[in-house]
Amino acid sequence: MSLPAISKHLKVLERAGLIARGREAQWRPSRLEAGRLKEVADWLEHYRRFWDESFDRLDAHLRELQAKQKQTQRKQTREKKHGRTNKQF
Amino acid sequence: MVEQTSSSKAQPAKPELVITRIFSAPRELLWQSWTDPKQIVKWWGPKNFTAPVAKIDLRVGGKYLYCMRSPEGQDYWSTGTYSEIVPPARLVCTDSFADADGHVVPASYYGLGDDFPLEMQVTITFEDVDGKTKMTLKHVGLPESMSDMAGTGWNESFDKLAESLK
Repeated sequence: MSLPAISKHLKVLERAGLIARGREAQWRPSRLEAGRLKEVADWLEHYRRFWDESFDRLDAHLRELQAKQKQTQRKQTREKKHGRTNKQF
Repeated sequence: MVEQTSSSKAQPAKPELVITRIFSAPRELLWQSWTDPKQIVKWWGPKNFTAPVAKIDLRVGGKYLYCMRSPEGQDYWSTGTYSEIVPPARLVCTDSFADADGHVVPASYYGLGDDFPLEMQVTITFEDVDGKTKMTLKHVGLPESMSDMAGTGWNESFDKLAESLK
């Protein structure tokens, strides 16, 4: 990576609050703001768990829903058949 | 110029979460699960949570209000406003923590970190894949609303200051 490219990347990180930069003569020492990084990860991690576990439950709910639908359909089909049989007599 | 481009591209202040899942159900059923309050209460919330309340006003600009209850009995309310409703393919809404009356509150209200954005945007898409449904959820923090609120705070302070100087 070229020096100007590194400098550009550092500027982006600084603007995002992920690093802090000082100034010593021609040097720009950079320090990682780990706390800020962790903050971002915390709320994302919270929601990842929230959605993953909710979707497990959604999956179970959909299976149950479809099983019930199938049962109702089977019942209806059976009732129709019986209906037809009864008419014959 | 170059700097501006790189900052708008990187958007590091808007981290996002993307989750994709395949469900063995037609997408109409997925759509109902997300938009019918009677179904939301069956699955909303992590393992061992229940959802005692779900209210949905399904129209653009309409709001939802959900409550989920932890195994310890702690209630967490959340609310949001629908901005896109395209059945059965796409649903976009905001997402915030709320109190039981539906007022937006910061996550710290529930003892969660200050880093949580006050308002988030959730985009859910449903794609048909051979009778199954590929559901993609995108969850994006909207940190600018936080600064909006900070702005309101300042305005109120300035109003008070102006009042006291009269």
